[in-house]
Amino acid sequence: MPKTSMPVVKRPLSSWIFAENTKFQLLLLAVIVITVFARVLPLEMQKRIINQAINLRKLDLLFIYCGIFFAAVVAANALKFTINILQTLISQRATASMRKALYEYILTLPLSFFRDTQPGMAVNALVNELSLPGNYVGMAVAVPVTNILTLLTFAGYLVYLNLSLAAVSISIYPIVLLLIPLLQRKANQYNKERVDLSRDLSSRIAESISGIHEVQGNGAFSIENRKFESLVDRLERVRIRWSIYRFAVKVANNFFTGIGPFLVFILGGYLAIKGRLEIGALVAFLSAQEKLYDPWRELIEFYQVYQDGRVAYQRTMTYFDVPVVHQIHPADRMPYALDNSVDIENLSMVTDDGIRLLDDVSLALKPGEHMALVGFSGSGKSTLALCIGQLYKYTSGSIRIGGQEVADLTKQDIVNNIGFVSQAPFIFDGTIEENLLYAQRAQRMDQNPDGQGADPSLDDMIAVLQQTGIFADVLRFGLNTIIQPGENPELVEAIVRARDKFQRQFGHDLSEWVEFFNEEKYLFHSSIADNLIFGTPNDPAFTSDHLIENTFLRSFLREVDLDRPLLTLGAELTIQTVNLLKNLPPDEIFFAQSPITSDELGPYQSLIEQLRYKKLHQLGDDTKDQLMILSLRFTPGLHKMVALPTLLERLILEGRDQLKDRIAEEMPNAVSTYRVDQYSHSQTILNNILFGKTQSQAPHVQERISQSIVQLLIEEDILEAIVQIGMKYQVGSNGDKLSGGQRQKLAIARAFLKASQIMIMDEATSALDNKSQSRVQNIIDNRFKGQKTLIAVVHRLDIIKNFDKIGVMKAGKMVEVGTYQELMERKGILYELQYGRK
Amino acid sequence: MNSNMEENERGKSSELQDNILLLREIDFFSGLPMEVVKLFAYLCFRVTFKPGQYLLQQDEDDACAYYIISGEVELLRQENGLTESIRRYGADSFLGSLALFSPVPRLFSLRAVNDVKCLAMDRERFSKAVKQFPDIMPRLTKVIAERIIAWERHFILKQHDRLPTFDSTIGISLI
Repeated sequence: MPKTSMPVVKRPLSSWIFAENTKFQLLLLAVIVITVFARVLPLEMQKRIINQAINLRKLDLLFIYCGIFFAAVVAANALKFTINILQTLISQRATASMRKALYEYILTLPLSFFRDTQPGMAVNALVNELSLPGNYVGMAVAVPVTNILTLLTFAGYLVYLNLSLAAVSISIYPIVLLLIPLLQRKANQYNKERVDLSRDLSSRIAESISGIHEVQGNGAFSIENRKFESLVDRLERVRIRWSIYRFAVKVANNFFTGIGPFLVFILGGYLAIKGRLEIGALVAFLSAQEKLYDPWRELIEFYQVYQDGRVAYQRTMTYFDVPVVHQIHPADRMPYALDNSVDIENLSMVTDDGIRLLDDVSLALKPGEHMALVGFSGSGKSTLALCIGQLYKYTSGSIRIGGQEVADLTKQDIVNNIGFVSQAPFIFDGTIEENLLYAQRAQRMDQNPDGQGADPSLDDMIAVLQQTGIFADVLRFGLNTIIQPGENPELVEAIVRARDKFQRQFGHDLSEWVEFFNEEKYLFHSSIADNLIFGTPNDPAFTSDHLIENTFLRSFLREVDLDRPLLTLGAELTIQTVNLLKNLPPDEIFFAQSPITSDELGPYQSLIEQLRYKKLHQLGDDTKDQLMILSLRFTPGLHKMVALPTLLERLILEGRDQLKDRIAEEMPNAVSTYRVDQYSHSQTILNNILFGKTQSQAPHVQERISQSIVQLLIEEDILEAIVQIGMKYQVGSNGDKLSGGQRQKLAIARAFLKASQIMIMDEATSALDNKSQSRVQNIIDNRFKGQKTLIAVVHRLDIIKNFDKIGVMKAGKMVEVGTYQELMERKGILYELQYGRK
Repeated sequence: MNSNMEENERGKSSELQDNILLLREIDFFSGLPMEVVKLFAYLCFRVTFKPGQYLLQQDEDDACAYYIISGEVELLRQENGLTESIRRYGADSFLGSLALFSPVPRLFSLRAVNDVKCLAMDRERFSKAVKQFPDIMPRLTKVIAERIIAWERHFILKQHDRLPTFDSTIGISLI
C-alpha cells in the first residue's frame, strides 16, 4: 500500500476509493458482474415460461425454466448480501483510515490552532462527519458499476424486445438528469451549513461542560441554555431544509420514472390491439421496464450519498487544513543527536496584533550550562522557553541548538534531544507507572513503530520517584491498596510480621493518632457496619455492598433493638448531608467526608420530602433500606455532620458481642474476627500494618506515621513491593486524583527518566513543597551541571543562586544576564526583584 | 424527624455544629452568609500538636491557616542560624490566612508551646469552596485590607511614641 506523503487534509475524497481497498473493490466488481447476470435471467425465464412452456403446453420445459428462475432468484439475493458485506467492509475501513489519518494530523497542528479551537470541534469531525464520506467510499465502485451495468443490460434487453417501446421508456431519463442536480445543489448548500453548525454545537457543548464549575458556581444556567438553544434552533431549521431538498430529489425522480409504464401502456397497448406485439412480449417488456427503476433509484441515491459525503469531507478537511509548522519525521536522514549548546540571537516574537512578546533577545549557553530565567509574569520568560522547545514559533532572529536552527528541525529531533516540563503538566488517565513512562515510550514508539524494547528497570523508576519526592506519595497509594484474597501471599505474610514489630517499636508513640482495632472499644474511624462485624468477612453476604440484603444481619438488628435507632440515624444523615451538599458540584473534595456519594445525592434528595412528612414506621421498605445503607456506612470520625448518640454507641458495642456469638452459632466461618496474627483482606495494607486506622488527616501526623512505616518496610524488605503496587494507582482523567504538587513531581520524574541532553523547565517546581523543591534542585546541581544543559523559568528567587547564568526579563527584553553574584553586586533589576524597591 | 434532630442538638452536638460556632468567632468568616460558613465548617478539620511541634515552618509554603481552639503557640523567626521568639498566641487566634489565597513562603515559624488543638483549613479546600460562592471574595479581600491597615496604624502609633522620625521600611499598607 503506497503511503502518500500528501497531508490528509489535502487528499481528495476520490483518493480513498482504491487506497488500501483495491482487492476488496475488485472482488466487489467481480461479484457485481455475476449479480447483474443473475438479475436478467429470471426475466428471460419468465418470457420463456409463458411463450414456450405454457403456450406450447410442455410440462418438462415449465419445470426446467421454473427451476432456473428459482435458482437465479436465490443466487441474486445471496450475491446481494455478499455485496452489502463487502461494501460495509470497505466503507468502515475507509472511515477508520480517514479517522486515524486526520487524528494523527490534528495532533501535530501548532499550539496556536488549539487556542482558538474547542475540543468539541475535533471530536465532532472525527466521530460524526467522517462517516458520510466513508459511506460514499464503500459505494463508490460497487453502486455505480452495478447499476449502470444493470441499466445498460436492461436497456439493451428492452431494445431487443421492442425498439420503439424502448425508445419511449428511456426518453424520460435525460429529463431527470437535467433536473436533479439543480435540486441537489440547494441540498448541498444546506448540508454545508449543517456541517458547520454541528461543529459549532459540539464545541458549545464541550465548552460548557469543561467550564461546568463556572456555570454551576455562577448559576449561569439560563445564559448557557440560551446560547445552546439558539444553535439548536438554527441547526433544526437547516436540517429540515436539507432533508426537504433531499426528499425533493427523490420525489422528482420517482415521478418521472413513474411515468414510464404509462407511456408503455399507451404505445404497447396500441401495438398489441393492432396485433403487432405478442402479449408475452408486452408483459416481459413491462417487467423489464420495471426493473429499470431499482438501479436508477440506487444511482440517484448514490449520487446523493456522494454529494453529502463530498460536502462533509471537504468542509471537515478544509477546517483542519492549517499548515503544519514543523515536520514530524525527518524525510531523508536519521533524527539528529544534537550537541547540547544553545545560541539565541536577536530573537523576537510578535503576535498578529503587533504585540512584541519577545524583543531582540540574545543569549548563549555552552553544553552543560544552567540558566535561570526570572522576571515578572508577562515578562516573556515562559514564551522564550516555549520558543526554544519549538512549541511556539518565533517571528525573527534565530535559536540554534548544537548549531541547528530550531525552526528547521523536525519534531522528532526536538523530542530526542529536549526534555520539557511545563508549568501545568498534563497527566493522562492511567496509572502512575504509565504516566512515568509516557515520554520514554513515546520516543521509543517513534523510533520503532512496534514499541519493542524494554522499559526502564524498577530501580531506575524508583530512583526518579525519589529524586523528585513523589516516592512518599506513591508509597502512600500503595499502602492504601486492598490486597485481594489469594494475591501476593508472601507480601501478606511479611505484613503480618511487620505489624508485630510495628506495635513493639511505635505502638506507644503513635497511639494518639492511630485507633487500634480493639474489641472492647468503639472505633470512631470505622463504619457502624465494621463496628458491629469487627472482622474480615469470608462470606460475601457480610461485605459492605451486600449487608443490606443480608437477612441474617437484618433480623439480628431487629432482635437486638438496633433497627429503629439506626433508621433514625440514617434519616438524620440524609437530611444533614443533602442540606449541605445539594448545590455543590460532584468534586472529590466536597464528597470525601460525606456518607452519600455524588452519584447517590439525587436519590437521597428525593427522600427528603418523605422524611419531613412521614413517621419512621410509615416509610416503605425501599426507603428504609436506603436509610439503613447510610447508617451502616456512618463513620463518626469522618462524617461530622451528625454526632453518634452515646446510647447508640453503647448499643452497638453490645451488639458486636451478641453478633459474634450468633455468627459462631449459626454461620461459623462467615466472618474472621480481627486478630493480631491474621491479615485482613477487607482492610488496606496500611491499616493491616497499623492494626487500626489513622485518626487525623493533618500533614504532620501523616508524615510521622509514614516515617515509622518506611523504616519498618525497609527493615522487612517489602518497601519496593509496596511502591510497585502504588505505581499501579489510577490517577483519574487529567490526573485529577493527584494534587497539583504531585502532578508536577510526576512530570519532572517523567523528564528525569527520559534523561534528555537539554532540559527546559517552565516553572516546573512552582507547586512543590520546599523539601521536594530542594531535592530536585540538588539533583540538578549535582548530577546535571556540566552534563545536561538546563533552561529553567523560575518564579522563586531563593533557588537561583547555583545557576551558571541568570537572565532577567522585562517586557519581552532580556535586561540583565550574569551570575547571581554579578547581578547582586550590580544592584540592578534582580536586586530589586529580590529585595524590593530601594 | 424534626423532633429527633432537636433531641440530638440538646444531647450531643455534631462536630459540624461545633465548627460553625467556632468559625463565627473569627472576623474572617463571621460576616459571611450562613450557607458559606456551614460549608467552611464542613471542609475544615481538627488537628492536634504536641509541645515542640511546628504548625508553620519559616520559608515553607504549608498552604494552611489555623484557628487555635486550645493551647498556646509561639511565633519564631530564624536569622543567621539564631532563633528568636517574638510573641505567643493563645486560644481564639486565627493565624496564617494569607496562605489560603496564594502560595507564599512563610516569614515565621509557629511552634506549639503545650498541647495545642486547632481547627485547620487548607488552600485547596478554601479555593474550591470560594469558587462555589464567588460573591464572598470581595468580603474576604475587604477583611484582609482592613487587617493590613489596622496593623500598620497600630505600628505607626507605637513607633510614634518612641521615635520622632519613621523608619524607611514603613508603608506596607501602600502595597
